[in-house]
Formats: sequence, C-alpha cells, structure tokens
Amino acid sequence: MAQARARLQHPAAWWLWGLGLATAASRTTNPAVLLLVIGVCVVVVDERRDPATPNPLPAFLVIGAVVVAFRLVMTAVLGNGIAGDTVVVTLPRIPLPDWAANVRLGGSVTLEALLYAAYDALRLAAILACLGAANALASPRRLLRYLPATLYDVGTAVVVGLTFAPQLLTDAREVRAARTLRGRDGRGLRETARLTVPVLETAFERSLGLAASMESRGYGRAVRSSDGSRRTATGLALAGLVGVLAGLYGLLDASAGGLLGLPVLLLGAVLAGASLLVGASRDGRSGHRRERWAWTETVTVAAGAVPAAVLVVASVQGWDGVVPSQRAELPALPLLAVVAVLVAAIPAWVTPHPREAAP
Amino acid sequence: MTTRRVIPLRWPAVVAVAVVGIVGLVAFTWPFFVTGDFARDHGNDAPWLFALLLALLAVVCLAEVTAGRLDAKTIAVLGVAAAAGGALRLLSAGTAGLEPMFFVVIVAGCVLGPGVGFVSGALAVTVGALLTGGVGPWLPFQMICAGGIGLGAGLLPVRAGGRSERWVVAAYALVTGLAYGVFMNLWFWPFLGTGAPTGMGFVPGAPLAENLGHYGLFYLTTSLGWDLPRGVLNAGLVLLAGPALLRVFRRGARRAAFGVPVVFDPADDKHLQGAGGAR
Repeated sequence: MAQARARLQHPAAWWLWGLGLATAASRTTNPAVLLLVIGVCVVVVDERRDPATPNPLPAFLVIGAVVVAFRLVMTAVLGNGIAGDTVVVTLPRIPLPDWAANVRLGGSVTLEALLYAAYDALRLAAILACLGAANALASPRRLLRYLPATLYDVGTAVVVGLTFAPQLLTDAREVRAARTLRGRDGRGLRETARLTVPVLETAFERSLGLAASMESRGYGRAVRSSDGSRRTATGLALAGLVGVLAGLYGLLDASAGGLLGLPVLLLGAVLAGASLLVGASRDGRSGHRRERWAWTETVTVAAGAVPAAVLVVASVQGWDGVVPSQRAELPALPLLAVVAVLVAAIPAWVTPHPREAAP
Repeated sequence: MTTRRVIPLRWPAVVAVAVVGIVGLVAFTWPFFVTGDFARDHGNDAPWLFALLLALLAVVCLAEVTAGRLDAKTIAVLGVAAAAGGALRLLSAGTAGLEPMFFVVIVAGCVLGPGVGFVSGALAVTVGALLTGGVGPWLPFQMICAGGIGLGAGLLPVRAGGRSERWVVAAYALVTGLAYGVFMNLWFWPFLGTGAPTGMGFVPGAPLAENLGHYGLFYLTTSLGWDLPRGVLNAGLVLLAGPALLRVFRRGARRAAFGVPVVFDPADDKHLQGAGGAR
C-alpha cells in the first residue's frame, strides 16, 4: 500500500481509538480476548509510536503485570467471593479475633477463585495497556491545544508548568551537587527540605521574568470577552451543574424515578459543556501548524469503535465465552469478538508513519 | 494579609466549586447508598460514567474559577506551583506513589488563597500526569481530590507567620495524606466486587454499616501502608521546609504585586510627554 508522507496523526484520533479499545476490554473477562487486546496495543505502538517522546507503554504493562500478580497473591492468602471445588493447595489457616470474623486468612486455595481473580485483573491490565498505548501514540500534551479558549489561561499555566518541571529537576540536581561539594551527603528528608528553598526561589525568579515578558508582549489584557457572553457562560455553567446534580440524584435514588435521572444528567452535562464554548466564542486565535484530519484518522477511530461496539453488544446479549463461567475449564472463544479486536490492529499498517529519526 | 486571595472567588465560582464538590463526593461514595439493583446493573459502568462526568465538571469548575481574571503573573505563579508538583511527581514515580507534591500544593493554597490552591492542585496533578504519560480515568478523581486539598489549605484558619502556623499546616498535610488514600481507593473499590478478598468486597444492596466495615478492612489491609508514609512524609516536609517555603511563596507573591490595580493616569502621561518634548 502506498504510504502517505510521514506525519504525526491527529492526537484525538489515537485517543478515541485507545478509548474504544479500552471500552471493548472493559466488557469482557475472556483471557484470550484480553491478551489479544494487549497484543494489538503492543503491535500498534511498536509500528506507529511518537518517536519524540519516551514510550510509556512498558511502564503501563509492568503496572498491569503487578496488578495481576498482586491480585493472585491476595486471592491465595485472603480468598475471594468465589466458591470452588478444585483445591490447588491448602495454606495453614490462621484464626482471627471476633471483630474480623468475616476475613479469611489462609485456608484452601481453589482454582476457580484464582482463575476469577486472574481474569478480572487481566481485564484491568488490558485497559491499562490501551491507555498506555494512547499515551505512547499521541502524547497527551498535544491534546492541550484543543482546550476550548475559555481555558486558554489554564492551558498556558499547564504549558508553563510542563516547561519548568524538567528545569526544576535540573536545578535540584545542581543545588544538590553544590551541597555535596561542601561535604553534605544530600540524602534524607532534612536535606530534601533544604533543597526546596533555593530551587523554588530560582523558579519564582524565572516565572516572574516570564510574566514580565508575557505582559510586555500584550498578554495580560484584563478584558478579553464581553461581560454579556461571560455572564451567559456562567449562567449556563451553573444551570448545567445544577442539572447534573439533579440528574445524579434521580439516577441514584430509585424512588425519584431512574428514568428522569439520565436525561436530566445529560442535559446538565450538555449545558455545562456549552458554557465552555460560549465563553470562548469571542476569542479568535490563529494556530500554528494545525493538525489535519484525513481519511486515515477516520479509519483509526473506526478501528477502535468496531471492537467497542461488538463487545458491548456481545456482553448485553450474553454471548458464549465473553464472560467465562466460574468453572475450572477453558472458556469458549467468541470468534466474532476476536475478529473485532483484530480489526483494531489495522491502524498499525494503514496510517502514515510518524516523523522518523534519521536512519 | 494582602497576599491572600490572589484569585478572588466570586459567588458563581463558589457555587460551582460547591456543586462539583458534592458531585465529587457522590462519585466517590455512591457504593454506600445506592440500591442493590442499581449496583448490580451499573456497577461496571458507574466508575467510567463518573470519570467522564468529573472530567467535564473539573474543567467547567476551572473555567469558572479562573474566568477572565488570570493575569500574566498569576499564570506564571500557577505554572511554578504546577511545575513543582509535577516535578515532585516525576521524582516520586519510583517510590510507589508517596506523592510529596501535596506539600507544594498545600503551601501554595495556604499563602495564595483557596482559589489558587484549587487551581494549582488540579494543575499539579495534570502536569504530573502529562509528564509521566499517566493520563487515565483516574485523573479527574485525582484532580478533584488535589484541588480540594489546595482549597482546604487556603481556608485554614491560621495567622500568617504565626508560631502555630507550621504545626497546623503539618497536621493538615498528615490528615489530607490519609484522606486522599481513603477517597482515591473508593473509585475502583466497587469494581473489584466479588473479586475482592473475603469480607472486604463491595456487596450491592447490603446495609451501609456492612459495606463501611468491608471498606474499612480493605483500606487497612491494602492502602494504609502507603497512605500513612505519604501523610507522614508530607507533614515532615512541611515541618522542616514549611516556614522557609511559606516565606518564598510570600516573597514571590509580594514581588508579583498581586492585587495592586494598575492605573494609567492621563495627567502623568501628559507630564511624561511634556518632559519628552522639553528634552
């Protein structure tokens, strides 16, 4: 297939893809499907990750593995709510005082309980892998530029923070080196506390310099949007928040009518979301190097939406093997779900290559 | 105190923060008071629903608190607080989430008022997540929690520079370090369902006392080991570096001269022009 020229895909496309795959993973506990989801994440990240940023996927995979191991150990020692007949090993049971009578410490470990814990933890690991893949494929800081202009100030503060944080670490290292030269070992709580003052002094110095330069370039205009639009935005936000609160109440309190809850909740959310856009409508800003949305982005989003849709349907209709039974046997393999998850791997080959380092 | 309340909280912002606080509280504590049917039907979706909802509300809340009232200096100071929080997050990634960043958020809230406390708490978590590539459904919950911690620090009834200040702030750091763990576990606890260890899981529809008891055991066995060191670490940092850090923030705030209105006096202008012309 003819490759488009190298460019970074739109970050929103990758995040929607990752969220779709995560939705799919959250609806099943079939270990084969979940391992396949993790595999798809690894393959796509391997092919198309953003080379300019460090790859966070391995860290997410390690956390996922730790989650699985931790859950297995906890289940073996403390048991869980699954009763089973296939005893794997019997640990010595430790008697507990009365107030903890519900808790089991030790005792027989059944295969059913272990399998259930492993499947459930694997689901969390798969969701983590999807999020790690999204983080690796499109650095979330690239999403910052899509903040509505109402949050422009907050976004600027985040960008300032992102720029200063590595510098703070460098400063800290320098101060520490200087203290080491003076014969302190630079370890321990007290030393860390000493470090903060010079480091933050420098940071404030730098930030006030930055503020001065921002102001001299006309950044600190006091009024940007008209009072009217801001008042509308505030009104919308408050109405939306109240709607969200009322909707939540309706949803959680069955006596108030659960049907009334969701529409009111959605209406409130829409109003609150609209307040972000209304306040921003007056702000015209030009952008630098806007990202394009081409057909590959649409394919990426669709490739994430397919497994999500298939697995939601599968879990609602209760297909065989989507949620394996709690028996010690190999679960059935839902073929359509497997195919749907494989569809999510398509972006690994059809999307344009990210910019590459010189070979 | 002139340096407090750098971002003044007007009534819409106060209402927004209050409503988001209530929704946040519901998002964390819903397992304790919903009916069994609801929990069985929606136990799996609810954490995702609340993650989306809280993300939206946190953003709306930030927009309301900061609506058009951030000047360049406030942004720069918020940037420093967020950077310090994020950098500490980077450092603490290796120490299993001991999170010394709350220490900076608390001091910032204490010196610069509840508005800055809320925004810098939320932004410090965001910057940390962006730096470590750890953006996920937990981020909105963390933003609300950290924002609340900063907001509370701004409302602490202490006299600036007083002798008791250090101890009050340190105690606050200890308490919030523990409370942060109590709340942050809750967002995924109902997820575990029957998968949780015997007698520690969420039982849909069970009476409040039973679920509270289960959660208490779950917290004691799995989380307290992290939360207590975190609280103690933050309190220790406040005790050791707090006074100096408070001075650094106050000095920064004073130099930035927050709250001093800039007035262009036409008479002055004319005078300057006249002076220029005469030269």
